[in-house]
Amino acid sequence: MKSFWIVLKFEILNFVKNKAYIIATGIICALLIIGISIPTIRDTFFSSSDDPSAEVPGQEQQFGYLNDAGGEVDTETLESVFIGGKLEEFQDREELEEAVSNGDLVAGFVITSPIEYQHILQNNEMYGASHFGFEEAFLQTYRMAGFEDLGMEYEEVEGLVNAPIQRETVILGTDSAANYLYTYILVFGLYFVIIVYGQTVASSVASEKSNRAMEVLVTSTKTEYLIFGKVVGGALAGAGQLAIILTTAMLAYQANRAAWNDQLDFLFDIPLSVLGSFAAFGILGYLFFLFIFGALGALVSRTEDVSTSATPITIIFVGVFMVSVMGMQNTDGMLLRVASFVPLSSFMAMFVRVSMGSVANWEVALSLGILLATTLFTGWLASKIYRMGTLMYGNRVKITTVIKLLFQSNEN
Amino acid sequence: MHLEIKDLHKSFGSTQVLHGISFEVESGKALGFLGRNGAGKTTTLRILMNLFKQNKGEILLDGKKFRVTDHQVGYLPEERGLYPKKKVVDQLVYFGELRGLSPKEAKKNTDAWLERLGVMEYRDKKLESLSKGNQQKVQLAETFVCNPDIVVLDEPFSGLDPVNAQILKEIIREQIQAKKLVIFSSHQMGYIEEFCKDIALIHQGKIVLKGSLKDIKRTYGMNRLTLRDGVRTKEELKEILQNSLSSMLRSVEIHKEQLIIELHPGKEKREFLQRGLDLGLDIEGFSVYEPTLEDIFVDKAGDVS
Repeated sequence: MKSFWIVLKFEILNFVKNKAYIIATGIICALLIIGISIPTIRDTFFSSSDDPSAEVPGQEQQFGYLNDAGGEVDTETLESVFIGGKLEEFQDREELEEAVSNGDLVAGFVITSPIEYQHILQNNEMYGASHFGFEEAFLQTYRMAGFEDLGMEYEEVEGLVNAPIQRETVILGTDSAANYLYTYILVFGLYFVIIVYGQTVASSVASEKSNRAMEVLVTSTKTEYLIFGKVVGGALAGAGQLAIILTTAMLAYQANRAAWNDQLDFLFDIPLSVLGSFAAFGILGYLFFLFIFGALGALVSRTEDVSTSATPITIIFVGVFMVSVMGMQNTDGMLLRVASFVPLSSFMAMFVRVSMGSVANWEVALSLGILLATTLFTGWLASKIYRMGTLMYGNRVKITTVIKLLFQSNEN
Repeated sequence: MHLEIKDLHKSFGSTQVLHGISFEVESGKALGFLGRNGAGKTTTLRILMNLFKQNKGEILLDGKKFRVTDHQVGYLPEERGLYPKKKVVDQLVYFGELRGLSPKEAKKNTDAWLERLGVMEYRDKKLESLSKGNQQKVQLAETFVCNPDIVVLDEPFSGLDPVNAQILKEIIREQIQAKKLVIFSSHQMGYIEEFCKDIALIHQGKIVLKGSLKDIKRTYGMNRLTLRDGVRTKEELKEILQNSLSSMLRSVEIHKEQLIIELHPGKEKREFLQRGLDLGLDIEGFSVYEPTLEDIFVDKAGDVS
């Protein structure tokens, strides 16, 4: 057991002393601090303390229109109810089009009847919305004229049609909508550390094989200690990095809370039960995948081959992430329910269900039990594969070949 | 300590590499494990180090099953390998601790061995920045850092220049004097002759010769004599002997600047010497022929197959 701690210490120090680790953590933390401090920076440098009501700098958007419908449309009303910028009347279509072409106008409109108009613009964009404001004002003008013809007050009708309904929500289960963002952040954090550290652990094993240090290592101590030390070391380094990043984000938010008007409080107000399930499922899932990556690293002889060897499991892992993220829209979906018990995906899928849906305690316990047993089994198998792969140099060894050899050697 | 390798068999797929290897080694003696490339030396040592599992056979230490992790074993693998991107001191301390030393002891031993091998100045450098010879010395420091009772060296002299080879020779002598159990494989006969009282010669996965080197040499030299004449060349001497004393001689041959003669069974050295003097030979040297290990090696493992 002492050897496990020695390997663990060595592996953690490898990460912590690694410049890439330090620089990456530093850059992420710096970006977070800058991002979270933006409202404070804006308030400090871009707002005038003399005039608090000063508008945000920026020019008012210009629009133009040509009325070909004559007196059928009340252009005075149209201009007064238009709120998307400044709306100016043109007398000539060519002039209007030229102003649009020159970029003087965002868009132009040619009114052909009280309910028909042409929308003139230079380039059409996928999500172009330059006609929204005009259309709203045009419709309102039409309605106002219509109600007036009927002898009705438009304001009264408006009060009836768009009555301000008051709603108060009482949630008996889980508030998925509010939990969505922090669940997404935690799931993405887990995805990120597993992908990054999985590759790192696989490369580390492969490099020990390629630089032949493995031959001395396996004669010095038990392979179980070597692979467990390496995986747990990688896991702790990743968890440490994630903790540093989250703590930095929290501290930066605390310092900038006033500028945010407490809008992000919900992100840092995660219930303990959710944090607990994230810790339990996250740690086990993390170890589970790192064991797989470690074993895959032992099957290749060169670090360049690691990515090829790890591709299938990476694809599965990305699939698990997609299922979990899509499941966040509907936590009672069958796919997410099944995924929450399959060891490859349960660590993420069950966490999503716990965090955003309603799930019975026995389901959580069962899923956790299956994941724990599978992780231990994977750890054992990884140590055997690691041992088996030690002296298999040359081409990449197929996992099926190793498992076959493993059973053969157990029989002997 | 008494280490016994008994009847080891090993196959890789359908190819049988070892066909029943057996030999013994004792503390305070070094065993030279000889063989041509591909004879099975490294496979045998890897089985000893529990890197491979034998198909049949056993390894015993003082009569009990030998488990490498239960003992302090210094192993220098044929394929040298450490961490190129790590500092020399960090990795040596790591290996020392893995073999049961306390951090303090591991540091102390690391410094002592780096000093002993003349690479102390590279203590805090990354391994990859060292020359190949110095990396080899760091590997040797790694082998001895745990102060092993059993030392297994697979081709230890390959890659060392004469000065470094001299340092390693001194270390191996010290290990033998300190009653360590030393096994080293090599195909460089000179080194084996320098240190080893016992040898085991492996050829095509079988032990073809083993035992005390002195006895083996004596047996090989039996009935063979070397002869040197003060005035005649070897060729002239060979011609005289073949013409005048052929009844006593089984063979006369020139081998590496020496004239080697083999007497017929039952013929005495004394009688041969008298007959030679009677012929008027100016005998300057006359001795029992002692073959070199290389001669024995070529004889036993020299077939082209």
